[in-house]
Amino acid sequence: MSDNKMNRKDFLKGAAIGLAGGTVAAMGLYSYSPMKKNHFPAVKRKLEDLGVCKSVKVTNISETSWFDNAVLMGDIKKAGGLLVNQYTYNWPPFGNGKGIGKGSYQEGMAKIKHLLPNRLEEAWEVIKKNCVSIDNAGGFACLIEMEAMDGKKTKYLLDTGWSFKWMDECFKREGIDKMLANNEIEALVISHEHFDHYWGLPVTLKYKPDITIYVPEGFYSEGFQFLKDCGHTGKVIVNKNGLNKIVPGFATYTFNTSIICRVFGEQSCYFNVKDKGMVSVTGCCHQGIIQFADTAFKEMKYENDKLHGIYGGLHISPFEDWDPKYDDLVISLGKYGFEKIGCNHCTGLLCARKFVEKGYPVVRGTARFRTKETTYLGNGDTITFGNV
Amino acid sequence: MEDNGKNYLEERKLVKRWNGPIPAIATLLFTFVLFYITWWIFQDPRGWLRMYTPYVGYMYTRWWLIVLIWMVYLFNFWPFKREWVYKTHPVVKGVVLTAVSAVVLIVLIKGFFEGILGHLGLAYFDPTRLTRLPGVTEFFAIEYSALACLMFAAIASWLSPSWVVALEESPWKKLPQPAKGFSMWVVTFFLSTLVFFITMHPHMGILYYPWQYFTSIAPPWWENFADTVSGNFHVSWIMCCTVAVWLLETIWERFPFCMIKNAHIRRTTAFFGIIAIALAIHFFFYFVQELTFGPAIRGTRNEASPDWRWLHVGEMAIFLLVPALFLKFYAGNWPTKFSLPVNVLVRTVICIFSGIALYYVYYRFGHLFLGTQKGFSHPQQFPMIPTIWLINIWLVNHWFMDNWPGWKMVPKTADEMAAEEKAHEEQVADIKWNPTLGLGLGAGAAAGIALYFITLKLLPVLYKAIDMVPR
Repeated sequence: MSDNKMNRKDFLKGAAIGLAGGTVAAMGLYSYSPMKKNHFPAVKRKLEDLGVCKSVKVTNISETSWFDNAVLMGDIKKAGGLLVNQYTYNWPPFGNGKGIGKGSYQEGMAKIKHLLPNRLEEAWEVIKKNCVSIDNAGGFACLIEMEAMDGKKTKYLLDTGWSFKWMDECFKREGIDKMLANNEIEALVISHEHFDHYWGLPVTLKYKPDITIYVPEGFYSEGFQFLKDCGHTGKVIVNKNGLNKIVPGFATYTFNTSIICRVFGEQSCYFNVKDKGMVSVTGCCHQGIIQFADTAFKEMKYENDKLHGIYGGLHISPFEDWDPKYDDLVISLGKYGFEKIGCNHCTGLLCARKFVEKGYPVVRGTARFRTKETTYLGNGDTITFGNV
Repeated sequence: MEDNGKNYLEERKLVKRWNGPIPAIATLLFTFVLFYITWWIFQDPRGWLRMYTPYVGYMYTRWWLIVLIWMVYLFNFWPFKREWVYKTHPVVKGVVLTAVSAVVLIVLIKGFFEGILGHLGLAYFDPTRLTRLPGVTEFFAIEYSALACLMFAAIASWLSPSWVVALEESPWKKLPQPAKGFSMWVVTFFLSTLVFFITMHPHMGILYYPWQYFTSIAPPWWENFADTVSGNFHVSWIMCCTVAVWLLETIWERFPFCMIKNAHIRRTTAFFGIIAIALAIHFFFYFVQELTFGPAIRGTRNEASPDWRWLHVGEMAIFLLVPALFLKFYAGNWPTKFSLPVNVLVRTVICIFSGIALYYVYYRFGHLFLGTQKGFSHPQQFPMIPTIWLINIWLVNHWFMDNWPGWKMVPKTADEMAAEEKAHEEQVADIKWNPTLGLGLGAGAAAGIALYFITLKLLPVLYKAIDMVPR
């Protein structure tokens, strides 16, 4: 009996040591070996049919979201860093006069709500008194003109910028104000809730308050309230995570992604251009351009099975900051075979320079209207994908 | 109460103030309140100082951990007299020793890293120098220098305790303080510097434009193996080393290395054994992510990118460490009634399941009270900040405050210490080779390998079944 007990105890001791040792050995020797690939399921492409369009032309209304990086980052530093809720920064238009990092949506909106969306000059005067770094605000917005296979052209706005003053100037410069007023623009697609893409909403609504607006899933309550407080009277469509077809040849895809300054979710646009391939038009592309390309490959069917072009912010070094992981992107992007890269905005000039050094087909700009360099497409520049 | 060469932690006996689980509950509540108050003051993006920028808060969190380890493990509370440590009320002790750790921390960061190293050697440790670089804003200058400091901290958090746990303070074990503390401190700091230059300096070298080809290896030497040029590859295995050291010291009671009788072989095996165990965790946790999130895609952001996944390996490992420390500090290292290998195995299993539960709680609910955002990967969020912050609070409570309020400290008598040592020796001596143990060993090893492959099969299924991040 005693021997049996001893034997059982010894067996258990050995088994415990063996179990731990065997597991750890397998973990160490197998987990990063070439054999691990046998556990990955083969990629099943969904090949979702988006339809096809003839061409896409993008006009850069504004890519300069802010004019002085040091001022913006100084504000972010004072407010407490990159995780702080953007509505508390006291940036325009949500200013309560209490200083950096002490603002709130409600207090800021209470001061200007009665002036939106039509009396923007007056609203801007109020904002000037209550916000910080007013003159640093710019914004991101672009006009997308998609030509269908039957030749019919449809216009969409992607984002609506930040500063009321700057965006109104930009809209007038590119004739967007008239296009909106004449009902030439089908819809406003908001890529994500960031200040520089979304807070200039009253400028669009000033000219067309009933415009259809597509927002991505993930908006915070302030974002939805802003639509109402700005006097929007049209349809709001929340694009759920995943693929959302808009018209033949055009779809958006909402990515479930966490973003700095307490923003969540971003949608980007996919266009399947006849004889060329897939073209992506993005606001900031916080999900990453390679994620975006990989999603196209896994989910959609496109011409020649080719990723043809990119336009927009690629969110690599928006503050001219850097991280070695961005070099991973610079090194890897080449294998995706993009033929036309119209990057700007949060791609960062530093990144664009690295793309150029790497020999990627970056389309240069003209450095007008406060864009700093010709390295990438600047304000007022256009890019066309497909046969016009 | 004289310093007899033993560490204070070995000399003290913690006696529960009340029966049952009340002491653990009371102390846990106390430390959670302390955690949340200090989190709000120092880290929370909605709070007062908002150091979670993220790198500044991250760096101070990690270095605070190391300063605590230095004070207790390397210097054994020197320069405080042992009598003061024994007689002072735990709350006073907690306040005074924490204040000292804060002073050391500030001197270290501002004096050594920014002042000496940043001014006289490596510019990237000094934010004021970095602001002179074209295009670098003050914010990122501070963040970059904090990043460099925290990468150094990762290495020190592995090597400093390793010298005590694995190398058993050799060869200075018998030296009095502070000679012993300074000897170990100098050597571990020197080794940390060497490891930093090999593993982290190339990361810093390519952080600046153009790549610093003539001052660092660019692209870094690990690029092809790790599928990234990011130093997160090293942060990963080094954090696993830190976790392995503390598992060995706490729930494993230095098993299996304590079975080796020859001191030199035992120490060497333990030191490199920690690295081997860490590498196993390192590769396995990366594989776990590939099985659940899908294969990594180089160059992309967030969950799919190799650099984030390597970092997340370290984060996953820290989730394992939290329950291990709880078990040791507040649950009497339960269970203790079986043989040493079985005790160790049961505790490890408890920690694995508790770690998974904690991981779930963090990603499901953490953002609701930490002021962060939901989601696995966020470019500026690091779960190691709250988890290490909690560990720091527990270390303050366990080391400086003797588990107050649930426990009180009484010195162990010489007989008690001898009896404890004897009991441990007997437990180790009880593991003797015989055919039955060999049979168990073989069966266990086969079961371990089988368990590994079963886990590989189950992981993707379980991940799909559990909705971890709220919609």
